[in-house]
Amino acid sequence: MSLLTLNNVTIRFGGLTAVDTVNLEVKQGEILALIGPNGAGKSTMFNLITSIYQPTEGTITLEGKSLVGVATHKIADMGITRTFQTIRLFTELSVLDNVKIGCHCRGKAGLLQALTRLPGMKREEAEIEEKAIKSLEFLDLASKRDEMAKNLSYGEQRRLEIARALVSKPKILLLDEPAAGMNPQEKVVLMEMIRRIRDTGITVFLVEHDMKLVMGISERIAVLDYGKLIAEGTPLEVRSNKAVIEAYLGSGKFKSRIRR
Amino acid sequence: MKKLLNNWIVQVLLFLSVLALTALSTSIIQDIIPPYLLMIGLFIGINLIMALGLNLITGVTGQLSLGHAAFMSIGAYASAIATVNYDLPFLIGVLIGGLAAGLIGIIIGFPTLRLTGDYLAIATLGFAEIVRVQFTNMKITNGAIGFLGIEGSTTFPIVMTIVVLTICCMVWIENSRNGRAMLAIREDEIASSAVGINTTLYKIQAFAIGSFCAGVGGALFAHTTTFIQPTDFGFLKSVDILSIVVLGGLGSIPGTIIGAIVLTSAPEILRPLANYRMIVYGLLLVVIMIFRPYGLLGGVNLRQAVRRALMIPKKKQAGRGE
Repeated sequence: MSLLTLNNVTIRFGGLTAVDTVNLEVKQGEILALIGPNGAGKSTMFNLITSIYQPTEGTITLEGKSLVGVATHKIADMGITRTFQTIRLFTELSVLDNVKIGCHCRGKAGLLQALTRLPGMKREEAEIEEKAIKSLEFLDLASKRDEMAKNLSYGEQRRLEIARALVSKPKILLLDEPAAGMNPQEKVVLMEMIRRIRDTGITVFLVEHDMKLVMGISERIAVLDYGKLIAEGTPLEVRSNKAVIEAYLGSGKFKSRIRR
Repeated sequence: MKKLLNNWIVQVLLFLSVLALTALSTSIIQDIIPPYLLMIGLFIGINLIMALGLNLITGVTGQLSLGHAAFMSIGAYASAIATVNYDLPFLIGVLIGGLAAGLIGIIIGFPTLRLTGDYLAIATLGFAEIVRVQFTNMKITNGAIGFLGIEGSTTFPIVMTIVVLTICCMVWIENSRNGRAMLAIREDEIASSAVGINTTLYKIQAFAIGSFCAGVGGALFAHTTTFIQPTDFGFLKSVDILSIVVLGGLGSIPGTIIGAIVLTSAPEILRPLANYRMIVYGLLLVVIMIFRPYGLLGGVNLRQAVRRALMIPKKKQAGRGE
């Protein structure tokens, strides 16, 4: 079943076509990876899905509801959360607060509740805290809850970003290069975590450069080159796809050596 | 006991009794201490109310505003017109001053809060100048001559009660879903909207509340000095309030309180230095910013610090027992 559908999506920045008539379906409960050389338009795709950019042409729908023109802050409420290629944490706040803020779209309390502090507001606060702690436990960060986010190690910061995105129980989690800057050991842990996230029923859509990780966990891979979707399929299919090899390694006499 | 304290009605009663206690104790203090000190205390209170408002805008939400004095002047003039021209009671005048400033804050917030950082600072600066010039040329404000004949209704207990009320409100806001959203905007706007925070809404909310506080402060100011003129609310006044927030520590409520006390009383304490007074005052600012670049209490988690201070002697005692 298709959860997220991109239909003929195109975006142009002036003369540059960053994403060119892409058709892609993200299926319920799968791990889908988007790969491609630098500047292929992978992050732009994420920015289109989260409505930071609006497509010049085409439609993006989540369970039949259009995401085009929807305000960025409503995307999380609709069930899509993300992490960023360059970590974007609330660095001067505690780890727990970071995750609590991730719960924002599931809360209701406004200014009136903040000032009256009625029992309903306190109940909501307690619920948020409980959810946040659960999310931290899930990503093995519970012991760090009172630390400032900026004091975490690089790998922990990456995990905290995932915890923040997971706490609102999204339908789709977008991971933008989650393994960037991680050492091999951390990558193994990350792979395990992504699988566990999927097992809780959350669809995972990731952009990643690390081939070992991509080939290891994804059920399907889509390949983007110069904004165009050049291949789509299982890791095995993509690995042997001629167009993909050309995009990554160039065509010509070296090809035979790579094939071997 | 703990269950009782968690009861909402008990908390409300507790809060009201704190307010009553403040009013009572300050009215006793009022009769004891000399009028000169009382006046300094009054201005500390007024500056603190305004600084707490700016702290929410600049310290918590991270939007640099250089136009706080404009909202102060709107509150001052609106309340003065209400009490003098329409014979309304003083406290209603203060409320009108706050609401007028808050409303203008919302109206100004919509176009300017799309800007960030330096650009927002310049826009608010321009707005403050427009307001000042406007008041200089209006008939109802008596133009550059100044607004005369305001009753000196502001008293020490009233100011201090409003101070306590403002502090409580600020603490509550900061420790709520709203406050967390505002802090998130300060830290990273893009990440904030990715987790579902409507950044424009919360920025305007912070701006409105901050302006409201400035308006209340302005109203109290007008009814203290009994005479206001547009030059009272120039750029320097905005900078004065901003220095309180920055020197105290951006985003820290206890810091803002200390900042207001230090910066309001310093010129008075330094009075014996006569001509060198403002030089020393400036020097004080420079030295504090060199040694505490994040403000006096910036980056200090007061709750943790107090807990630590209380824990250490306990641990030592346990060690002795062994």
